[in-house]
Amino acid sequence: MGLKIAIVGCGKIADAHVEEIRKIPSVQLSAVCDLEPIMAEQLATRYSVPRWYSDVATLLATEKPDVLHITTPPQSHLPLTRQAVAAGCHVFLEKPVALRHSDTELIVEAAVAGGRKLAVNYWPNFEAPALELRRLYEAGVLGSAVHIESFYGYDLAGEYGMALKRDPDHWVHRLPGKLFQNVLDHILNKIVPFLGNDEPFIQAIAYCGGEQGTEAGGGQVLDELRVILRGTSTSAYATFSSHARPVGHSLRFYGTKNTATVDFAARTVTLDRKATFPSAVGRLIPPFLSAKDYLRQGLKNVNSFSHARFHYFDGMRRLLTEFYLSIEQDSAVPIAYSEILRVSAMMDAIFQQVYPEVRA
Amino acid sequence: MKVLVTGAGGFLGVHVVERLLAHGYTDIRCFLRDRTKAERLVELSRLNPGAQLELCSGNLRSKADCARAVADVSLVFHLVAGMKGAAAELFADSVIVSRNLVEALEQREGIPIQSTRIVLVSSFGVYGVVPLGRGARINETTPLEAHPELRDTYSHSKLRQEQLLWEYQRKDGFELIVLRPGVIYGPGGSAFSNRVGLQIGSAFFHLGGNNLLPLSYVANCAEAIVVAGGHPDAAGQVYNVHDDELPTAAEYLSEYKRQVKSVRSIRLPYFATRMLAGCLETYHRRSLGQLPAILTRYKVAAAWGGNDFDNAKLHSLGWRPLVTTQEAMAKTFEYLQGQNPQ
Repeated sequence: MGLKIAIVGCGKIADAHVEEIRKIPSVQLSAVCDLEPIMAEQLATRYSVPRWYSDVATLLATEKPDVLHITTPPQSHLPLTRQAVAAGCHVFLEKPVALRHSDTELIVEAAVAGGRKLAVNYWPNFEAPALELRRLYEAGVLGSAVHIESFYGYDLAGEYGMALKRDPDHWVHRLPGKLFQNVLDHILNKIVPFLGNDEPFIQAIAYCGGEQGTEAGGGQVLDELRVILRGTSTSAYATFSSHARPVGHSLRFYGTKNTATVDFAARTVTLDRKATFPSAVGRLIPPFLSAKDYLRQGLKNVNSFSHARFHYFDGMRRLLTEFYLSIEQDSAVPIAYSEILRVSAMMDAIFQQVYPEVRA
Repeated sequence: MKVLVTGAGGFLGVHVVERLLAHGYTDIRCFLRDRTKAERLVELSRLNPGAQLELCSGNLRSKADCARAVADVSLVFHLVAGMKGAAAELFADSVIVSRNLVEALEQREGIPIQSTRIVLVSSFGVYGVVPLGRGARINETTPLEAHPELRDTYSHSKLRQEQLLWEYQRKDGFELIVLRPGVIYGPGGSAFSNRVGLQIGSAFFHLGGNNLLPLSYVANCAEAIVVAGGHPDAAGQVYNVHDDELPTAAEYLSEYKRQVKSVRSIRLPYFATRMLAGCLETYHRRSLGQLPAILTRYKVAAAWGGNDFDNAKLHSLGWRPLVTTQEAMAKTFEYLQGQNPQ
């Protein structure tokens, strides 16, 4: 029998965890848990999960899972990780990892000290386009990183935004980085592997964007964020926008040889190549090369779709598969702990600038 | 008697408050989540100077807000429900808030919960119509859905909400009245229920065909809620709420096209919808959910199988529709025409 999995935290994102776990034939989801029994019950009923609990200690003692997925709000991640590790579980954490960097350090320490493995749901980095970028980089096609632009858009008119606006007690309003804290991992974790510096220079600004701004949680919220980062030899821009349309999710990698653009929404990777022909001819060629890139990517996507590998959370399935495999084979985890720690340290630095009053 | 209306700022809630005033209730606490939706309630307060209309805003997910909402009330009209969004949100906004509300009533000092009456607005979606087959007559004795996980999450959450309140009623002994409206419509509401069809892209797929549409005009529905809430024989009872002289989905669509605007509709007969749903279901299963199972044969049977409806029990309470179906459709279409000028 494969690994036995359990989930604690039965909010919206838990649906995605259940669906991706069920796609991995070698593991079994045995139970779900939420402090709120109604939430645990609804998730178990909708997905025919064998058992549900409203107390994590009972879940751990009764089910004895190999892996605990923690999909609760981040303020509970540290105590739950400690509890899970003490019960002998490996831990798969939903982002954001914790409220602050010091807690992330304690989470990693708890896993390492307990001899258990830990992964964070950085699923976009395991999407096919992200893996393709990594392949191009490692094959030397791009050269060294000069500059990275990581963009993440959010539509606050959607379900998540509506939940934020309606509920002044929504857990996101209580995060030190508020709205940004829930998405910044996905922006920074694409930059960190290329930045080459543990303590980069960081300059962040945030403001209320759009004509009306965003009213949520009983007041205006900062919903636009711009960050400049400078490592030893690489710089980066990180952008979060609630108002830019269409809602995008992209990465642009400026290399010393070529520049690559990753569109996570359209699932494409295109290359801006150095001109190989002189003068006007050199300017004629690039659009055709880009068209060829898009055609190739489009066909690749059609192929993925026809083989049922084009799910929204395909990256999460791939990440989970690698994480479970690392447990079964006692091999390296799919995300280095150093990357998780660097992302959380950078988030702390950004929130200190954006919400100095909260940090004070 | 102090009355609480939860969801008082909503489409139905405002009409319930209006009917309460018309029935002579003078002490009403209007609980609403979004204070910007209080405009009509403020106007009602101004028009009824002899009545005390207390506006109270908050979120029933918060136990503290629930305690504020239920202070000193003896009759609760519980209208709040999650209407759209992720399943977790629907369950939180329908089921958890209902649990919080009842527990707040339990915890009041000096007022036993047994002296409280709760009127819950549930939904037709709680009925288990699929095993009954096409054309079956739906009344209050129709069994509840046995497989809510196979239905849409709204129906699932409404069923759980209703079950939860009956569980508390058996434990606490308060008076519970459940009303199950069909399709609530009217000025301020949407044009089409799923029972008529689905808008996909620019095309409207007309799936309801000649099925009866269990329409409940919003003012008639509010009247039913208030009549049941004040009737001494209603405690412990369930009432289906829909109007008389129901049109078919095809008639409704045809009138909409005539009175509001032209719609490019594609009519899919029931068997074709079932076949399409079967294909989608198979693809969803084989592709491990690459496309969502928005249509399944079970959902199709529940939404478009077609039923006959019976509101005799509601009539037995003395309820009469304030507006005929013909007038109600005309008023609704007039409103919609104003929203979508040709």
